[in-house]
This record gives sequence, structure tokens and C-alpha cells, in this order.
Amino acid sequence: MTRPRLVPRDIAILYVRELRAALRERTMVMNSILLPIVLYPFILWVTITGISFVQGLTQGFVSRVVVTGLPPEHAELRDTLDALESVELRDEPADAVEAVEAVRARELDAVLEFLPADVAGSALSGNFRVRVSFDRSEARSRAARERVEAAIERYRDRWLEWEAGGLGLTPEELEQFRVASRNVASEREMGAMLLGTIIPLFLVVMVALGCFVPAVDATAGERERRTWETTLTLAASRASVVTAKYLHVATLGALAGILNAVAVTVALGPIFRPLMAGGSEAFEFRIPVSAVPIMVLGSALLALFFAAAMMILAAFARTFKEGQSMVTPVYWLAIIPIVLGESPDNRLTAGIALVPVANVAMMIRDAIVGRFAWPLIGLTLLVGLGLVAVCLWSARWVLQFEDLLLGSYDGSFWKFLRDRSPVVGRRSRQALGRPAA
Amino acid sequence: MTGPTISVRALSKSFYDEFRGEVRAVDGIDFACLPGQIFGLLGANGAGKTTTLRMLATILKPTSGEASLLGHDVVADPEAVRRNLGFYSASTALYPRLTARETLEFFARVNRYPGERVTERVDYLVERFGIAEYADARVDKLSSGMKQKVSIARTVAHDPPVLIFDEPTVGLDVLNALEMQDVIRHLRDDGKTILFSTHIMSEAEKLCDHIAIIHRGKILASNTLDGMRRDTGKHYLEDIFVAYVGGRKEIEAAERAALGAQER
Repeated sequence: MTRPRLVPRDIAILYVRELRAALRERTMVMNSILLPIVLYPFILWVTITGISFVQGLTQGFVSRVVVTGLPPEHAELRDTLDALESVELRDEPADAVEAVEAVRARELDAVLEFLPADVAGSALSGNFRVRVSFDRSEARSRAARERVEAAIERYRDRWLEWEAGGLGLTPEELEQFRVASRNVASEREMGAMLLGTIIPLFLVVMVALGCFVPAVDATAGERERRTWETTLTLAASRASVVTAKYLHVATLGALAGILNAVAVTVALGPIFRPLMAGGSEAFEFRIPVSAVPIMVLGSALLALFFAAAMMILAAFARTFKEGQSMVTPVYWLAIIPIVLGESPDNRLTAGIALVPVANVAMMIRDAIVGRFAWPLIGLTLLVGLGLVAVCLWSARWVLQFEDLLLGSYDGSFWKFLRDRSPVVGRRSRQALGRPAA
Repeated sequence: MTGPTISVRALSKSFYDEFRGEVRAVDGIDFACLPGQIFGLLGANGAGKTTTLRMLATILKPTSGEASLLGHDVVADPEAVRRNLGFYSASTALYPRLTARETLEFFARVNRYPGERVTERVDYLVERFGIAEYADARVDKLSSGMKQKVSIARTVAHDPPVLIFDEPTVGLDVLNALEMQDVIRHLRDDGKTILFSTHIMSEAEKLCDHIAIIHRGKILASNTLDGMRRDTGKHYLEDIFVAYVGGRKEIEAAERAALGAQER
């Protein structure tokens, strides 16, 4: 292979031409600008609205409940349940077995069976056990269970208070110990935790999506439009032509990722607010300024990788459609490591830093939640740049074959590797191509 | 400059074909184009014309032999060759999402026309090729006749001394084909050296100062039309062509072989 001649002036002219043409193409504007801004905030909004709607529907149901075996000294509990607007106490069927059958038949939502306390518990007067029978496969039955359990819990607290008062004690003294939990995370930390879970995943998907159409368009699309040969007759070197195309694809990919991160951050608050209303935890969605450079760097790294990988595969296609089918596996393969690492407690470790794509996602997550492990960030960048270098070397190797460059190669990617790769190739035909059609 | 503008010596190009093995599309050809000349490469379909021109345009690398344009070797200095060359063919379409004006500007700049004179050059081309009315329309909105004009204008955007036209009238109607011939003639009158391939005899007869007959990758004859008339004793180029190539059956067999290779 001869040394590629890169001329910055030529690259700049070609890059501007590619970008100008791309931004006039509806599909590319849609994929690289509009979808990143709108798609995920919209999906989140639809999801949250859907959840709220279903919750509202469930809350709107009146739970049909039968109570059996209630000890007479706890008659007040029945009054408590009866007072709930969301619960309707029914007298029939009075038999517990029949009532449970009615739950199965979805004629009732829950059955409360008051049972005698076990041997140890029976020493205390008025003690009892309660069994709530419900159907977990039914949303309204699950809601009925939550309602009656909450009512019993409240009644129990009042009962303990009363019992403890009779003995001159506080409820805590009577219970010996009580567990109380307190969230010490600030609203901003809670928001960062949620952003750190969502944004890296969306960023990877969006950078890949942003590279997808431009990568196919700049290679197979040019062939389909018969402009590839026009490009090859320009006075710029082949290396400059390919570099300009590569940078243009990577730019659109990185742009898609960054726009999406901004859109999701801005949209998350208004979208989540209705769901959080009345909840005990508050969230503040703001990306720390210190995380921004890492996010930009991560987006650029992902974009450089996706652009190279997708362009190599799309170079084997002769039409846009063929190119799309060839590039799609890269898109899905990229998502796998992200999904595997999608636990909020995962963090960038030396092991993860060696896994492409997942390492960048984890690096971004850590930055959003305020963790900066510089040696691991360095390792991630090194691995990412190494991968990009491998892709670029592969692109250079692939493009030395005239038939592939001119679009007359009609085999698959795997056939190409099998026949021509110096590593796995069975026969090397590097000097030969197919006739120009 | 007194030497040839384009010089080709023992130039060959082989391809690998899955079914036929190695195919020699161009087989050791020699020719030279003099400055200010229209040099016609005449041959049937699949004779090796396009492959030869693509090698001269540095799109393909020769398997062996040498070719140079204004002294620049096509292998050693391809960028210099392309800087001095305008290449026009049916397979070099325009970028559809640029306007006609942007297209001319782009080609002038990237092919190293002096930056400070690009706007002036674009205005001149817009005027000369009569594309002012649609200069700011996107190429994909233009009719085929309009595209043809823009395409010729972009070929000469950087004012190259050498032009290659590969079957430029293929697919054009009679009027557009005649207009194309006029343009080529005028460009020759402007002092350009033009290498022109065709399989249409009348076109070669009207335009070319020098003709090379190419068949099955070999040049069978290279002379002026008058010289070929003298050598063969025939008057019409069609008869001259058949006399060199060896009859209708031979031409058809060669065309079939070339077509078969392309289809596979």
C-alpha cells in the first residue's frame, strides 16, 4: 500500500460539499437532527403518559373486597376499610374458600381472611394473622391488595400507639426497635442517577443512528446516483476523498448524539414531573458542567467508530437498500454491550474499559454522576482510538481493491474476506479486479 | 509544447473474472495525442475504450505499460493528471443536491483553479453554456438537457488543457448530440486536447483529427481519416472500420464476449 496523501485544503472543500449535500437530504436531516431532538423525549413522554394513564385507570377502580373472620375487638378495622372510597366491602360470599374462588373468577378483587394468631402470638390479647388473597395477574386485584394492606398497616400503627399508651410507653419502646430509612441523596444526585442511566444508552443509539444514513449515502448512495466515479476524477487524492466522507459521517453521528443528550436532559424534568407528583423523592435533572467535555469526547469517539465500521460495510453495497441491510448489524451489535451494562450501579472498571462502546457509555455515566476515574478514562480513550485505527486500516485495505472501489465487486463481505484477506484469505487476488461495467 | 499531450505505451489492463479467469481488457496499446487535437478512440462495445480512458483518468490502475498526460505519469502522479484533465462520461453524474452554480464552484475549487478567480470563472461558464436561468436550481430538479450542459461546464470548470469524453452522445437525442459535437469542436478551437471515444462512425468522421481503431483491447490502426482511406482503399469510416476489424461476424463475436464478461 502506498502512503495516503492527505491535503487539508482538499479535505475541507470535499467535507463542506458532503455536509451541504447531506443537510439538503430529508432523510439525513430527519435522522441526524430531528429524531435526536424529538424521538427519545417523545418516546419517554409517551411511556410516562402511558404509565400515568394506566395508574389513573387503576386508581379509578373501586376494589371489591370480602372480609372473613374479623375478631370482634377489631371491628374498628372494618369501619376503617368501609370508610375508604376506593374500597367496597362485600358480604357475599361469606365463606373464605368461595370468596377466593370469586377472586379467581375476577368477581372480587381481594379477600381478607383473619386467622387466629400462632402459638407464640396468641399470648397477646387481640392478636391475629391476616391473609390477603389476590390475583397478581390482574392490575385491579394488585391495587386492591395494596389498598387493604395500607389500611391494615395504618390501623396496626394506631393500635400499637393505643396499646403502648396504656402501658405508659411509646410505640418504639413497645416494638423494641423500629427500622426507619432516609435517602441522603440530594435532588440533583437523584436526577444525575436517572440521567446517568438513560443518557448513555440513548447517546449510543443516537450516534449509531446518526451515522447510519450518511454512511450508506456517502458510499452505496454515491454509486447508486452514479456520482462515485465523478468523485474519483477529482484532483484530490483518494485518501482526502475518503477522509472527508468519513469526517462528514462522524460529524453527523456526533451531532445526533449531542443533540439527543441535550434534548433528553431538557425534556426529562417536565416529562417526569407528573409521575413524581406526590412521591417522596424529588429529582433535579441537570448535567454537571464538568461532564460536558467527557460527553462530547465520548460522542466523538463513538461517532468515529460507528462511521468507520458502517462505511466499511456499506462500501460493499451497490445500492442504498443493499447498504442499509449491510450496516444494520453494526447498529444492533453496538446496542448489546450497552444493554448488558445497563444497571445503575455499574461503573467504569478496568474490565469494562476494554469493552468497546460499553466503555464509552460507562465513562459518560460516571461523568454525569460526578465520578471521574482519570486512568480508566484514559484507558477508554486509548481503546476507542485503537479501535478507530483498526477500522481505518481496514478501510484503507478494503479500498485498495479496484473492483470494490468502483462498485463492480458483487460478492459478500465474508466472501471478500475469505478470498482476499491476508489473514484468512485462501487465495490472494489483490492485483486483479473485475471488468469495469 | 511540441511533444504529445497524452502518451500511451504498451498499456494493458487485466481483470479477474470468476468464470473466465484473467481477462485482458486492454492489451498493450500505444498511441499519442498531439496538442489541440481531437483524438478519436473508435471501437465496438466492449472493445476496451472505456477501460483505456479510465486508466488515463487514473480511475483504474494499469496492469502494465505506461501512460502520461502532459508528462505526468498516471500511476506515479495521479493527482497532477486529474488537475490537468476534465473527464466526461455517462457514468460521471452530477451531485444531485447541489445547485448548478455550487457544482461549478466546487469543481473549480477542488481541481485547483486559482481561488481568487473562481467566482469570475463560474460566471463565465454560466454565461457560456447558457445555464443562467437555472444556475441556482438544484441539479436533481433539472431536465436531462440542462444537466448535460451543467455536466460539460463542470468538466471544464478548472480550465484543464486536456479533456476526455467517453461516449458523450450515448443516450442523447439528435439535437442534444449535435450540440455536444459543437461543444467539443469549440473546445478544440479553444486549444484543448481532446480524447474522445465513440462507436458512432459518423461522429468520429465529423469530429476527429486523428482516429485509433480499438478492437478486443488492441489498437488495429491509428491514423488520420485520410490516411486510413489511403491504407484501406475505402471511403466511408464504417467500411474502413470493418476492413480493419475483419467483418461483421468478428465484431458481433467480440461484442458478445465483452457483454458476457460484463453481465457476469
